[in-house]
This record gives sequence, C-alpha cells and structure tokens, in this order.
Amino acid sequence: MWIVSDLSDVNASQQTADIVPEVKPKEQPAPQPQAEPRVRKLNIIGRRNVFFAISLLIIIPGIISMVAKGFLLGIDFAGGTEFTVHFPGQPSVAVVENAVAAENINGSVIQTGGGGYIIRALPLTPAQQKIVEDDLVRHVGPMTIQQVLEVGPTIAGETIGRALLAVVIASLAILGLLAWRFHNIPGGWRAGFQFGGAALAALLHDVFLLAGIFSIMGKVLGWRIGEIDSLFVTAVLTVVGFSVHDTIVVFDRVRENLRVSQRLSFEQIVNLSIMQTAARSIITSFTVVLVLAAILIAGGATLKGFALALLIGIVSGTYSSIFNAAPLLVVWRRLQPLR
Amino acid sequence: MQLVLSWPVRLIVIGLLVFSLFVDGAGYIYRIANHYPLTGNVSGLPPNFGGWQLYIHRGLDLAGGTHIDYQLTNFPAGQSRADVQQRTIQVINKRVNALGVNEPQIRGAGSNNDRITVDLAGVTADQAQKTIGAVSKLVYTKWVPDAKVTNGPEPGYKPAFTGLTGDDIQSATAQIDQSGLAWVVNVSFTQHGAGIFDTLTRENVAACPGDPNTTATANCAQRHLAIFLDLTQKDIDSWEDPAYVGKVSQPYDTACLSAQTPNTICGKFLTDPITLQEISGGNATISGSFTEQSAKDLATGINSGSLPVDLQVLDVIQVGSTLGAESVKLSLAAGLLGLSIVVLFMIIYYRVPGLLASLALLFYAAAVLAVFKVVPVTLTLAGITGFILSVGMAVDANVLIFERFKEEVRAGRTIPAAVDAAVRRAWPAIRDSNTSTLITCVILGFIGPPQVQGFAITLGIGVVASLVSSIVVTHNLLAIVMTGSSLRRPVLMGVDRVRPL
Repeated sequence: MWIVSDLSDVNASQQTADIVPEVKPKEQPAPQPQAEPRVRKLNIIGRRNVFFAISLLIIIPGIISMVAKGFLLGIDFAGGTEFTVHFPGQPSVAVVENAVAAENINGSVIQTGGGGYIIRALPLTPAQQKIVEDDLVRHVGPMTIQQVLEVGPTIAGETIGRALLAVVIASLAILGLLAWRFHNIPGGWRAGFQFGGAALAALLHDVFLLAGIFSIMGKVLGWRIGEIDSLFVTAVLTVVGFSVHDTIVVFDRVRENLRVSQRLSFEQIVNLSIMQTAARSIITSFTVVLVLAAILIAGGATLKGFALALLIGIVSGTYSSIFNAAPLLVVWRRLQPLR
Repeated sequence: MQLVLSWPVRLIVIGLLVFSLFVDGAGYIYRIANHYPLTGNVSGLPPNFGGWQLYIHRGLDLAGGTHIDYQLTNFPAGQSRADVQQRTIQVINKRVNALGVNEPQIRGAGSNNDRITVDLAGVTADQAQKTIGAVSKLVYTKWVPDAKVTNGPEPGYKPAFTGLTGDDIQSATAQIDQSGLAWVVNVSFTQHGAGIFDTLTRENVAACPGDPNTTATANCAQRHLAIFLDLTQKDIDSWEDPAYVGKVSQPYDTACLSAQTPNTICGKFLTDPITLQEISGGNATISGSFTEQSAKDLATGINSGSLPVDLQVLDVIQVGSTLGAESVKLSLAAGLLGLSIVVLFMIIYYRVPGLLASLALLFYAAAVLAVFKVVPVTLTLAGITGFILSVGMAVDANVLIFERFKEEVRAGRTIPAAVDAAVRRAWPAIRDSNTSTLITCVILGFIGPPQVQGFAITLGIGVVASLVSSIVVTHNLLAIVMTGSSLRRPVLMGVDRVRPL
C-alpha cells in the first residue's frame, strides 16, 4: 500500500546493509563512534533473568498483598454515601469526627486540608442525608457542600464487574490483533501467538504491578492515595494502551529485522530491535511522565491518585516492553522453536 | 507516500482545518460581541444549523449538578417495557421542567429497559429527588351541592372523591379526533377503572338527562367529573373559603408543590369536562377547544399523576458548582502545562521537525475540539484525561518517525530520502499500536462503566485525529519545508551528520 516516492535513494539490498554492521560492533567499530549511542552495546537478552527477577521482586509482594489484604476501595466500588464538604471555620479533625460519630451512620472522616473534609457513611436516603447535613452545621459550623455521592450496592457491584470484563476483553482483543498482525512472518500463526502472548504477558505485568503497588499503599501502608475507584480503572486501561504501544514498536522492529537480516540469530535480532527502539520508547514515556509529574504536583486532590497510578504504570509499561516482552519472546522461541 | 503528499489530500486537510477553526471560533466571536458568557448554551449561538447548536457540553462533574440512576420496579403487566420506560421518562421530564433546568438529560438505560438516568445541572440532589420522586396522586372527583361555596370551577358545589384515581388510568394521549380538525385527549382506564368510570358516567347522565349541546337543563354541575392532582380531604373541607378555592383551582403547579410547606396553597386543578354519555368501554375522550400544546399538556398532566412504575434510587451524585469550576480550571491548567512541556521538548530535541510536529498538534487540538462540539461529546473529568493522553499518543507517532529519521540519516541517506524512508518504515508500528488503542476504546465505550465510557470516547476521537495530524500534516509540512534548501541543514533537522548531496 506504500508507494516508494522518487525521493528515496535506497533499494532493498542497501536496506540490509544498513542494519548488518551494527550488530557486530566489537569486530567492526563504527566509523564515527560518537554518532553511535552507547546503549547499542547493551546485551539485554543475555541478562534477561536479572530483568525478570527485578519484575518479580516488585510483583510478588503486590500479589501477596492483593490476596491477603485486598484493596482500599473508593466510594463507587464500596458503595455508601460520601460528602465532600468545606468548613470556612477550619475546625479540627477531632471536632468533625465527634460530630460524625454522634450521627450513628458508621461514618469516617478524611481531612483534605484548608477546612475541607470528606465524610463517608452507609448509604443514606435523601431525608437522612439532610439530617446529617443539618446536624453537621449545628455541631461544627457553617459549611458548603461540594459533592455528595451516594452509591447503592447494585451499582457498585456492576461497576466492578464491567471494569473487570472490559479489561479481560480488551486484553484478549489485543492478543488476537497481535497474533493476526504477526502471523505473516516465518512460523505463521504459531509465531503470531508467540508475539501476541509475549505482549499480553507484558501487559499483565503492568496490570499486576500497578494493582499490587496500590494494594500495598492502600492496605499495608494505609495511604489514602492507594484507594482504587473508576478513575483507577481508567488509569490501568491507559497504561495497558501505552504498554502495548511500546511493545508493538519493539515487535514491529523485530518483524522488520527478521525480513532484512537473515544472517542473524533470533536472539541477536531481538536485541538489535530493542536497541533500535529504546530511544523512542524512553522519549515518549519521558514526555508523558513530565505531564503526569506536573499533574501530580500542581493538580487537584481528586486527580493525584490518578496521576500517580499513570506515572507508575507508564514507567512499568516502558520497562516491561523493553526488558520483559522482548526477552520473553526469546525464551518462548527456545521452548517452542519454529525455524 | 505519493498519496499522502498529493494536493487533494492537502486540500482536504486544509478544508478540515478551516471548518474546525470556524466551529471553534465563530461561537466565541458571537459571545464576545454580544456580551454573553463564554461557556454553556446561549440561544442563537452560531454556528447554528436549524436549531442545532455547537458548544462544549460539560458533564455534571464539571458543571455542577445532580446525577441520579433509578431502577424501575413494578412494571404493569401486559404492556411493552420500552413503552412504559418512555412514558416514565415523559413524566419525569414534565416534573423536571418545573425546576427550569438548562438541558435536563433524562435517558433510558438498563438491558431490560428497567433503568432511567437523570442528569440535572445546577440542582441539588434534595431538590431533584423531591421533584422527580414526588408521588402526585391523581383523583377524579364528582360535584356535590354545597350552598356556601361561592368560588372555584363550579360555584355552589364542592368536590367529592369517587374512588377513581391515577392507579386506574392506563395512559392518556393527545391526538387529533376523527374529524381530523380538533385536538382531543384520550384516556384509557384499567379494567378496574373502567368499571368505576362506567358507574360514574351513568350517575352523571341520570343527574340531568338530555343532550348538553342542545338542552340547557342537561348541563348541571353534577354532570361534570373533575380531575385534580394531589387533592386532599383538607382541601375539600376548605372549599367554602373563596380565597382558598381560588388558589387550589389554579392549574396544577409542580414547582409550587415540590417546594410545599404546610401553609402554602398550590394549584391542583387539571380539568373539569362534562359527561356527554355513559362510557362503559374504559376509553374516554376529553374534547374542547384544545390547541396541540394544551392537549399535550393535559395528557402529560394526567400521566404525571400516574407514574406507571415505582422508582427506586440506585445512586446519586451531587457536585457543587464550585467544585466543578475548580475541576475545569485544574484540568485546563494541566492540559496547557502538558501541551507546552511537550511542545518545548519537541522543538528543543528535534528542531525544525519538532516545530512542525508542534504545528500539527495545533491542528490536532482544533480538530478534536470541533469534533467534540459537533458530535456533541459531553466532556467529563475522565474525558479531559483521555484528551490529554491522546496528545501524548499524537506525539508518540512523531517521535517514532523522527527517531527513525535520525537512524536513516546515520545510515547515510540524504535528508529528504531519510524523511521519506522514516515515515514509510515507522508506519506499521504506528498503525498497529493505534489500532490496538482504538480497539480498546471501542470495548471500553461499549462495556466499560459510565465514567470510563467518556474517557474511551475522547481518547478514541483523539487517536483518530492524532493519526491524521502526525502522519498527514507533519509529513506534508516536512515535505514543503524540505523544498527550501536553507532549512535542510543538519543542525536544524536535529541530526549529527549527513551524506553530502
């Protein structure tokens, strides 16, 4: 579908020549060493077990925490009533807590700073909400209500169910898409599923790592930023998108190199492809990380957990594409040779 | 690549840009010239195609207001659930209109037509639930003589409950009568209601027999059946007080009733038609000098006294207007900050190509904004996040091309040839990665939770626009710049060395 324009001065035989000299840097030093980025000499595939170990070191505690402790659930997953209020009088936490305790609504109080409080309680009817609001004004002082969320158990369960279903179906679709996209290389559909499977593994790596870290932050450390809600699900899905982007870029390069450099072993090709795409993956992630860091520092309280989730996930996504997905492809090839 | 670099493609892109800028800009010029607020709906706002107005629709988390999900229960047997849901939506609409909300959103939902979602801007949850959930009770009354009554629809008579209520009404519809000239309201009763109505109309006719159209004596008060909403026994007991009756006999007033205190007297009257003959089939027609609007109002009024189902609240989200405004400010700031960081980085790192990519980003932002207005997409906090992230993906495609470009130059190509090879070879990766994102967006848009759906829609639109901006716009700009040899210098192109031409 791509018509070579008359601007191109390179033919297919020269394309091979572009790439071959770069894989044997020790025997054939590049004519201008400063033009060759130093990263090119890294042997990532050879040290793959180190990189797998680093990932497992973070993921396993996370999984243990998820299984043993679960998650700190936000209001839209847990159900209940949540008042976000602001007292201009800036009362102390104890004053607000006493007032809420007197209501007998199983309430909890979170301070957000500058007289702002979040009060969580059981699901309340509008009439009960009104009573609670009136009592708070009477006991604590005048307040403005910024937000009231009331989530019944039906909706809470449905939100969790739909979010999980969406993640599962999206993962399967990505596996299918990659298998289809990569089944044209030597090895056919089996090779396609190796590529798709390795990408899926990298994707699951990111999902579990992110969920694990949030479980640890929310339940083990007891930080409120580790709370998971619909926005967290959005963050996970975004991370999945970015991670797959990075993985596809590496794999696409593998596909291209498989076609043009027949003389190299599969491992060499994969390592070469990682080196050729690492700059792009890191630069893209870096720009996104800059934006997220800005949101994390300057953004509102509601967006902080979201920005943190994206930050962790994007770094993890880039790491997993470079250090897990591609090496995994090599391991899979060894276990299930195709050529 | 000749396809992308051809003039027809360029003209289409330029056309898109002009259209986008028109959609984005025209409204603001109108707003400023006429001193209207810069956001939200303004009547007569251009571009305006037959009442279809273009502006950014803000979701409740940005505008402030109340969102409620209702579960419908106790569906009447033997009726289509979709119809019942539609009728319930109409009734809620009628009740909500009394609040004077700008663009209330009342939508059916649920896999089994068993949910209704209500979004009301600028209304507290308390007000909204009182208005929507208020159970207006429709009652049919007959007239009994009371000489002390001096005011109201039938002086000398006061109303009496008949046992016929809104529960006995299946539906009321406004339509044109058989002659095809006049608007009438058809009321159909349930089997139980039909029986009562039959007895009532027989008594009506017996009270003063004859044809009311020709015989004056046939038109007596006892031959009328009135319809009131929320009429109480206390109201009837106060019927001898002329001031009280004067107020109660006013047309039904939802706004007054939802803000009711024990001392206010609200209008509760709907209609007081005369019975022409005994009606035994359970289908009555109210005729008179109706206009289309007044007939429809009466039908909705009768229906509003009879929600066909029970409403059960599933969840309520109330966002204060200050929090909404703050969220808009924060996300705008985050977006602008993010965009400027990206632009700065691209220009410093990639020089001229980075600058061109930044120009393409401006095209991208204008196009996406225009699409949001035309579709229209209701922007929420999650939606804005999707938009900001799609900027990141737009840049990603450019980074892929530019990194490839540097590589091709290093491999010894001339700059124009390297640009061409870079776009061509980066394409499969760009295509596959964006396809995977689009697939994810479609899946989330259909099965994700509602908050995530807004995110999926904006991200999806953003990805499509970013493909156009990064592939077509950037590449064309590069090709045009490449014709000027002074701009082709390696230092401007951000590459280290180049094979001499």
